[in-house]
Amino acid sequence: MSSTVKSILFVTILSIVCSSLLTLASTGLKDYQLRNVAIDKQINILKSVRVIDDGHSLAPGTIEKLYDKNIRQAWIDVEGKIITEQLKSEHNLPIFLYVKKNEILSYIIPVDSQGLWGRILGYLSIKNDGKTLSRFTVYSHSETPGLGGEIEKSWFQNNFLGKEILDDKGNFTAVTIAKGSVEKRILKHRQKNFVDGISGATLTGRFLSEGLKQTLIEYEPLSKRFRNKETIKGPGR
Amino acid sequence: MKLTRTKAFRVFFTPIWESNPVSGQILGICSALAVTVQLKTAIVMSLALTFVLAFSNFSISLMRNFIPRNIRIIIELTVIATLVIFADQVLRAFLYNISKQLSIFVGLIITNCIILGRAETYALGNPPFLSLLDGLGNGLGYSQILITVAILRELFGAGKLFGYQIIPASFYAAGYENMGFMVLAPGAFIAIGLIVWLQKTVAKEENDGKSH
Repeated sequence: MSSTVKSILFVTILSIVCSSLLTLASTGLKDYQLRNVAIDKQINILKSVRVIDDGHSLAPGTIEKLYDKNIRQAWIDVEGKIITEQLKSEHNLPIFLYVKKNEILSYIIPVDSQGLWGRILGYLSIKNDGKTLSRFTVYSHSETPGLGGEIEKSWFQNNFLGKEILDDKGNFTAVTIAKGSVEKRILKHRQKNFVDGISGATLTGRFLSEGLKQTLIEYEPLSKRFRNKETIKGPGR
Repeated sequence: MKLTRTKAFRVFFTPIWESNPVSGQILGICSALAVTVQLKTAIVMSLALTFVLAFSNFSISLMRNFIPRNIRIIIELTVIATLVIFADQVLRAFLYNISKQLSIFVGLIITNCIILGRAETYALGNPPFLSLLDGLGNGLGYSQILITVAILRELFGAGKLFGYQIIPASFYAAGYENMGFMVLAPGAFIAIGLIVWLQKTVAKEENDGKSH
């Protein structure tokens, strides 16, 4: 047998062995991984409305309980009306509601933004006045750790607290990630529409600003209803 | 023959201190800088690397007489990559939070010079059992440095260990402050530098002692 044939044969056998091992591991562990991902999303939704804080690790069971107690999933139609699962069609946008005593305290928008290296997936929560942000959370991204990856850290996510999506005159304007510190770079009357950026990650900030803007525009009909106090009562289960 | 004189013993223990892969051979520095902010991530990373290193050494050594010489690096990388992806999948299933914190650094074990280095210099020329021990020894040597650096960084950078407050609040009241520098990568760089210096000094004294 020539050495080339031998090499090819060896590589083939090794590839088959390695790939079947990995397939086995991947399919065998899939259920656990999917559950982790689902719970991680619930954690992020709960964090976005500050039901749980960073730094506390809770058991998966506790998280599911907290989620069931506080959060309702619903959909909105083009006019921003909240509808329940039975009535939804494929054009409706998903929304999560933080409900206490049948009153909506915040609504949580899923964010799917482009990033520098891949998609950034997370949640943005807005209080029931329809303009004040509570927090932004990220559960999946592929930005560089230490630079754009800082979007998953609480110091960055907490910057959104109290920021508004309305300008001085009450017109819609999305929240933008500034280049550097807001206090130093942005005019005083516009500071409430900007959050501190991450140094070394200007592009991530730019992409995420654009993504947040698109998302907020899509959900603007709902925000309007909240601002006009038309939607306060939470939907039933 | 005493246990400490056997070949297996030496193969296992030399890399833990004397020819430590990180502080002695300055390999695998990248991950040692990146994942040592917290003790928890450092330990999981150490376990993952030790697992990959031990089994890559073992399986490459098993195949060492059949691996065609001209494509040996490709074969080694295939084995290493398989083990790394396997470790990553297990972490994602059972230690999801830590695997998120470690992010790409688990995947980057593939390019850790220690692993390919041990496969090339040791596993290709030695029997499986010794290679396994060599892998374990080097893995523990790496772990030892990682954990030491992580203890220094978490204790002085955040005043905590495993996320629990160690430095009491009264210290902070008396004016003590966390060293923000230790949380940044250069903090790890200096910590590793100090360990290298310590190790070289001790090794020199040991050698002097022997020659007299």
